[in-house]
Amino acid sequence: MNTHVGSWVLHRKWILAAVGLPILVAAWWAFRPEKLWINQKVSEPAPFASSTDPQPLYTGRLEGKAHQTSGRATIYKTPDGKQYLRLTDFSTSNGPDVHVVLARSDEANLTQEIVKGQLDSVELGSLKGNQGDQNYDLPASVDLQKYNAAVIYCERFHAVFGLVRLEQF
Amino acid sequence: MIRNIKTLLALAALAFTFGTWAYAQDNMKHEEKAKTLETGSFHGKVHGTSGRATIYQEADGKLVLRLTNFKTSNGPDVHVILIAAKDADDNANFLKSSTERVELGSLKGNEGDQNYEIPSDTDLSKFQTVSIYCERFDANFGAAPLEKF
Repeated sequence: MNTHVGSWVLHRKWILAAVGLPILVAAWWAFRPEKLWINQKVSEPAPFASSTDPQPLYTGRLEGKAHQTSGRATIYKTPDGKQYLRLTDFSTSNGPDVHVVLARSDEANLTQEIVKGQLDSVELGSLKGNQGDQNYDLPASVDLQKYNAAVIYCERFHAVFGLVRLEQF
Repeated sequence: MIRNIKTLLALAALAFTFGTWAYAQDNMKHEEKAKTLETGSFHGKVHGTSGRATIYQEADGKLVLRLTNFKTSNGPDVHVILIAAKDADDNANFLKSSTERVELGSLKGNEGDQNYEIPSDTDLSKFQTVSIYCERFDANFGAAPLEKF
């Protein structure tokens, strides 16, 4: 009697194993859970040699605030270490005393169209034109981690024409 | 005398041809530059996808998608595709059979800089979003809507 029960249990174990194992293997193959802990890191070079060209560091699309503003702003670094902001496909409205400045994207003032008080900013110069591609040199000491937004700013009326939050290129 | 002039003319023609050729070669060297066509940032909360996708056009016209500062979760059968959409929701199981796509290949690594060739007849004005796509589960790990650079 005992031996009979024992063999039946043993038998059932084999059936369980025969059914369970393929299910486990299939589940493993489908989900590959070990990949949750295994990273596969690659580091391919850029598909072209451009070490002598200015390299883009940060970029973003401009959005309009007080006035319709559009285009792209990109911060480049030249091989000799100089940095400049370049506006492309750029368009904003014309206005008095309009400047290009860098500001902090987390500054509460920038959520409004009109800045109350003083805008914590780095001056890049007067807006050269309200349309077209244009470059602005950056001061060598500027901290781009802190001043990570570019603003088209009318100083006379403290109006934010448009701004762009710069993201790492 | 006439023979001398003929020789001179022949030499001049030869020099001119060589000069033009050398000039053309020099010009080609200057035009060996890749253009940046489009760029965008990845978003994807569930699988922690981040980084930048940029499409370059090489001097010979070839289109290349390059991922930089890239990170996503590892997974089975993950591919890089272009989809005919403006954007994709985080973790959307978006790929109905109606969503047009261009396959760029298996994801080479879940971290790091990597390049993918884009078929030359791809209409980039139509395929506007890069998706990191798990084919097995129809899961969108992350998407990067592309905008003109």
